[in-house]
Amino acid sequence: MKKYLLLISGLLFSSSLALAGDWTGGDDLPTNPLPCSGPAPAGEAKPYDGGSPTGAPNRKGKTITVVDVPKLVGIGYFSATTKGILDAAAEMGSMNAKTDGPSEANIDDQITLIDNYITQGVDGVLFAANDPGAIAPVLKKALSKGINVVGYDANSDPDARQWFVNQAEFNGIAKSLVDNMAREIGGSGGVAIVTSTFTTPNQARWIAEMEAYSNKCHPKLEWLETVEAQEDNILSFNQANTLINKYGSDLKGIYGMTSVATPASADAVTQANQCGNIAVVGLATPNAMKPYVNSGCVESVVLWNPVDLGYAAAYVLRAVADGDLKPGATSVNAGKLGELQVINGSEILLGAPYTFNKGNINDFDF
Amino acid sequence: MNNQYENNNKFFSRFLINYGQELVLLASIIILFVVVSQVNHRFLGGNNLNTIFAGNAYIGVAAIGMSILIITGNIDVSVGALIGVLATICGTLAVSGYPIWVAWTAPILVGIAVNSLVGIIVAYAGIPSIVVTLGMMSILRGGLISVTGGDWITDMPEGFFLAQQDFMGIRVPLLALIFFTILMFYIMSNTTWGRSLYAIGGNPEAARTSGIDLKKGVVIAFAVHGMFVGLSTILFATQLNIIQSTVPPNLELTVITASVIGGVSIMGGTGTVIGSSLATILFAAIGSSLIFIGVSAYWLRAIMGILILCTVLADMARRRRVVT
Repeated sequence: MKKYLLLISGLLFSSSLALAGDWTGGDDLPTNPLPCSGPAPAGEAKPYDGGSPTGAPNRKGKTITVVDVPKLVGIGYFSATTKGILDAAAEMGSMNAKTDGPSEANIDDQITLIDNYITQGVDGVLFAANDPGAIAPVLKKALSKGINVVGYDANSDPDARQWFVNQAEFNGIAKSLVDNMAREIGGSGGVAIVTSTFTTPNQARWIAEMEAYSNKCHPKLEWLETVEAQEDNILSFNQANTLINKYGSDLKGIYGMTSVATPASADAVTQANQCGNIAVVGLATPNAMKPYVNSGCVESVVLWNPVDLGYAAAYVLRAVADGDLKPGATSVNAGKLGELQVINGSEILLGAPYTFNKGNINDFDF
Repeated sequence: MNNQYENNNKFFSRFLINYGQELVLLASIIILFVVVSQVNHRFLGGNNLNTIFAGNAYIGVAAIGMSILIITGNIDVSVGALIGVLATICGTLAVSGYPIWVAWTAPILVGIAVNSLVGIIVAYAGIPSIVVTLGMMSILRGGLISVTGGDWITDMPEGFFLAQQDFMGIRVPLLALIFFTILMFYIMSNTTWGRSLYAIGGNPEAARTSGIDLKKGVVIAFAVHGMFVGLSTILFATQLNIIQSTVPPNLELTVITASVIGGVSIMGGTGTVIGSSLATILFAAIGSSLIFIGVSAYWLRAIMGILILCTVLADMARRRRVVT
């Protein structure tokens, strides 16, 4: 009996694979769709692959000095991560944190800055790398001086830092985009995608994960087409318009895969007077989407919350300095964010992506 | 009788030689529209025609200026970067409370100023335009990123969005493209200044001996090109409710390609702005029709490449026929 069940489910599985049309613009790498509801299953545990400081003093409970070196300063995104770090430091009361980064996203300036702070003497370094390989030597130097090193936003080679706070995984972003779309268009209907190019690695990964998750959890969402629009807002606008013109009322939703494509698609829907008939869900920064979210044309914009990202990074640094977060740990406490999961050996996942909507988008400036 | 026939025949063959490329483009556009609308009748819907014509008119307007430059034997590879910079200036003025007409005029004036400077360096320092404009491209791109940090401009005032408006039932960008194409075609074929552009690019030595100031002519050509970059920017910046303050990738290539496929010889001296405007429309129509008939967009690049090759071959063939 069991054999038959296996056989039948196997047949069903393979036929569902055959039915699922390939979404253009996705890559061919294996996908790992999250469950339709409930928490993500624990992945295969990977051994810790981060570095460790040599001769670090016992910092447990002591006030520590931390410098945060983002990719660059003076832009809204990293002002938001700084706010998160300072919020966390104020909450903990045992961390003196300050941000000092290059004025342009330049790896040489970033290396010089970190080197200077190693010389001055700090207890911890937080960073968002402009280049994963080029930043590694100076981070290793910090580790060799007993400094705790934690990355966020943009990783370095794993062995050059202790932990990295990962803002979002591909399957998490994909789930959030597809769930929001399904909710907004009532679970069924035709959807199309505006992306940068079919071969842009991140976008291709997201599209492949969206296809897997959509087929698994929202089979009535029908993928119609993916169009390329480079990183060009007028081209994105024209391509979104062409989709609207081609599919007419069969088109219920457009996914925007870049910070350029999403607002341009929203503009196309607005100018075609299709707000409410065609949903736009996409990845974008809040500033680019405020006009469309505030006008009510767009309900959900998916990204992560950079304030939370900085906040989590500060808590992770405190935990690692205290010796509470050791290689092999499966989770870490991050204040108001609760327990965050350890993934990929030495990364900490910020959690589900953040959905910006009318209620919260004006609180952000990046 | 016989003479009359011969005259007609001569006129016709001259017309074919002079405007062969324009006729080929026009025929291609008509054939494309007929064929694709048979496959999917929505292709000819009013909204889609607006997308094809009005949504790409800013490229055509920039290509008018580019054609003038190429006809004089020069080129500008910084046009995409300049449009990015001018759009940021335009949007910043609009959100800083300046009257809308100031926001609209500024890109034209700054465009003229920047390109006059380029023209002066090209003409009086004798540096090839491709080198000067490559340098200008880096300066403008770097400067733009440094100043804006890649931030977008939003919340422009009501009435700013010129490119979204209709005038007599036609979208403003399309009207602008038609108006400037006809105007410049007339000026370039019927005025002394217009004819001198062809002479500067086609046979500079003869132009010099016939009393044309070559250096001044090149500077003026750059300045006029700058004006069209400014006009193109207004359409670019007012099309959407946000202004992307980064440089759209490959825009300069798209503009130059429109000129070349429009029949403007890259060697200088021949071509019309009607050709470059028709080529802009043809590309846009090809891009849209690939989506309508469900062909991968990869083909768009291949088709553009084939069109460029065919155009250059046709140009060479025509030159040979004119010579013999």
